[in-house]
Amino acid sequence: MNAVSRRKLFQLSALVGGGLAGSSALSACGGVGGGGDSAGALRYAMWGNNVRQQNYSKAFEEMQAAVPDLQIAMEFADYTAFQERMTTQMAARNVPHVFWVPSPQVMTYYANDLYRDLEGIETLDLSDYSPTDLDGFKLDGKLNTMPFGIFVPVLRYNTTFAEEDGVELPEDGAGWTWDSLAELAKDYSANSSQGRKALSYGAEHDLSFENWLRQRGEQLWTEDGRVGFTQDGLASWIEWWEDLRKAGATTSISEQDGVAPDWPTVGDKILMNFGNSNHIIDDAQQFPDYDFALRHPPVAEDAPEGFQYLYYPRMAVYSGAEDDMVAKAGQVLTYCTSTVEMLKTVGLTMGAPVNPRVAEEIAPSATADEQEMLRIVAEDRAVERKPRYEAPPGSSTWRTVMGRVLEEVTLGSSSISEAASSMIDEVTTAIERAA
Amino acid sequence: MTVTTAAADAPEAPPRARGRRRQELAAHVFMTPWLVGLLAVTALPMLASLYLAFTDYNILSSPEFIGADNFVRLVDDDRFWASVRVTLTYVLVSVPLQLGFALLLALLLDKGMRGLAIYRSAYYLPSLLGTSVAVAVLWRQIFGHDGLVNQALALVGIEGSSWLQNPQTALGTLVVLNVWTFGSPMVIFLAGLRQIPHELYESARVDGASVLRQFAHITVPMLTPIIFFNLILQTIGAFQSFTQSHVVSGGTGGPVDSTLFYTLYVYQQGFVSFDMGYASALAWVLLVFIALITAVHFALSRYWVHYGD
Repeated sequence: MNAVSRRKLFQLSALVGGGLAGSSALSACGGVGGGGDSAGALRYAMWGNNVRQQNYSKAFEEMQAAVPDLQIAMEFADYTAFQERMTTQMAARNVPHVFWVPSPQVMTYYANDLYRDLEGIETLDLSDYSPTDLDGFKLDGKLNTMPFGIFVPVLRYNTTFAEEDGVELPEDGAGWTWDSLAELAKDYSANSSQGRKALSYGAEHDLSFENWLRQRGEQLWTEDGRVGFTQDGLASWIEWWEDLRKAGATTSISEQDGVAPDWPTVGDKILMNFGNSNHIIDDAQQFPDYDFALRHPPVAEDAPEGFQYLYYPRMAVYSGAEDDMVAKAGQVLTYCTSTVEMLKTVGLTMGAPVNPRVAEEIAPSATADEQEMLRIVAEDRAVERKPRYEAPPGSSTWRTVMGRVLEEVTLGSSSISEAASSMIDEVTTAIERAA
Repeated sequence: MTVTTAAADAPEAPPRARGRRRQELAAHVFMTPWLVGLLAVTALPMLASLYLAFTDYNILSSPEFIGADNFVRLVDDDRFWASVRVTLTYVLVSVPLQLGFALLLALLLDKGMRGLAIYRSAYYLPSLLGTSVAVAVLWRQIFGHDGLVNQALALVGIEGSSWLQNPQTALGTLVVLNVWTFGSPMVIFLAGLRQIPHELYESARVDGASVLRQFAHITVPMLTPIIFFNLILQTIGAFQSFTQSHVVSGGTGGPVDSTLFYTLYVYQQGFVSFDMGYASALAWVLLVFIALITAVHFALSRYWVHYGD
């Protein structure tokens, strides 16, 4: 075997070293954020895909131009990596000044004093919100996070397929029940000439599950931070889906590559799917040949009044932020939530605007899919709703646990009641451990 | 008064000794960055994690000493045992397969052929990419419901289901991924094969030994130090596998924990459940287990590894 000469070794080292130095230099370059020369800048941490990153970079550049003396260092990652980084930053008490709050961690972060009270920040303009709105934003009676979008659970359907197959969904009202949807789904799947399925298997969809529970008079979480649903509540949800799956009315777990359907995989195979209202914006773009519309999920005949709810993605200001940064953070929060320019740049992928004035002003320039989302959110927003409580500390893995028990059920290794019981036990244990 | 010092009286060190001291000093200077790195990046965090293993620590608040509770908790933790089962199966199946495949390819490449460097580089490439997120994502495309494997099966009339969503086959796809990264041990085998004196094969051929006998009685014994080296490296690497399972299963270790590697479980406890004390205990159990396995390998090596001295 040829020996590597010292010359070659050094050449190789130089190449590798040069490459590393080059890549570091490249990563340090960038208009907004990117570390390096970010001393004195306000750190803003968020998650998403690369399109969102580009949009927000542009929006922050516009914001820096509009707000004097403001410099923003964006700390961006995908959703999982974002949480990992936040975890280590929290451990080191090196938390960004403004950060998005992942839904399973809302109360975990709160319990660990990460949020700064927003009510005393003079630069934060809350004048567009009604007292009712502001009350709805509060956690534990305090305005310590700022919602910047609204999602609601929806049933999205492919109007192109519906037209091709001559299907008409029942109107909202007395005829739009879970039973009527199940009947329609079975009938459609059995008779589709194209081999399409009515639905993707969606038992793991969190917002839809919560909607189901609220229609039964149950909650996902209680006000005092416990599991708010019963074994029967969870089991009935899984049973509804299992009935459809076994009847061939949904895509199989194999077809959709897991209990959580992969949209690019199933998007052109199904008529309808349960999801978040905001997902239509990104998902529709993946299938530009089809048109999509949104419906409210079916309603149980005995559903109590006020079961509807709004889900808010939230951002917060770090409790350890210095005063000058808090003032800047207030300006940033105001710009993000109260200016139409911001939303024109970043789009509405994070949901309908929370600020009612902005929601009204953005509507004329919104795309057809965005208008559809705005419409359905506005309808739920207009209804009087019962309170909703965030996930308590320790419950951050509940969606993973739910995915696992659904795998057990769909693979036949566990009965529905066993799965429901085991999920409640596991989540309860985790909450108790965190208490 | 005349003052004489011991140093002044002492005979000067001979030039050779002074040169040696200078060399030693230079060696220490060169080693210092590595030693600092070892202390700051490895040793101190390890000590910290050893302490945390005996605490209840959720990252956000101060650790609270709880004695051996985390280790006691392991006994009744079903997911811990599931991760142990998955990891042991993965190591026991994938490491021998990978080493066997690497040796086979090394033997073929050792025959001497045109374009050897190209083949060697091409076969080595997966080792560089094998544990990357990109390849793990690619694996989803290959073994998914509409993936390449099922498309190939469809050509012969077989309708396959998602290999990644079936607990019977999901781990198998990760084994295939590990075997595919055979390039690293293959290059080491190839170097070992080049060190075997040709005279041994010539003598064997003169004595009428078949190719198989030459392989069994010359190649394998002469290669045992290299096999041992690769075995140790790949075993430790397999115990520490993480990325493949994390990406292919979306971080869950599913379906139904069938790809729940031990390290993925440690990660879930530490960074998803914020149970860093328990995660530290899990990490130390893995460290001790790998150390034991390695010690057993070394103890057994005296019976089958021939160093020729």
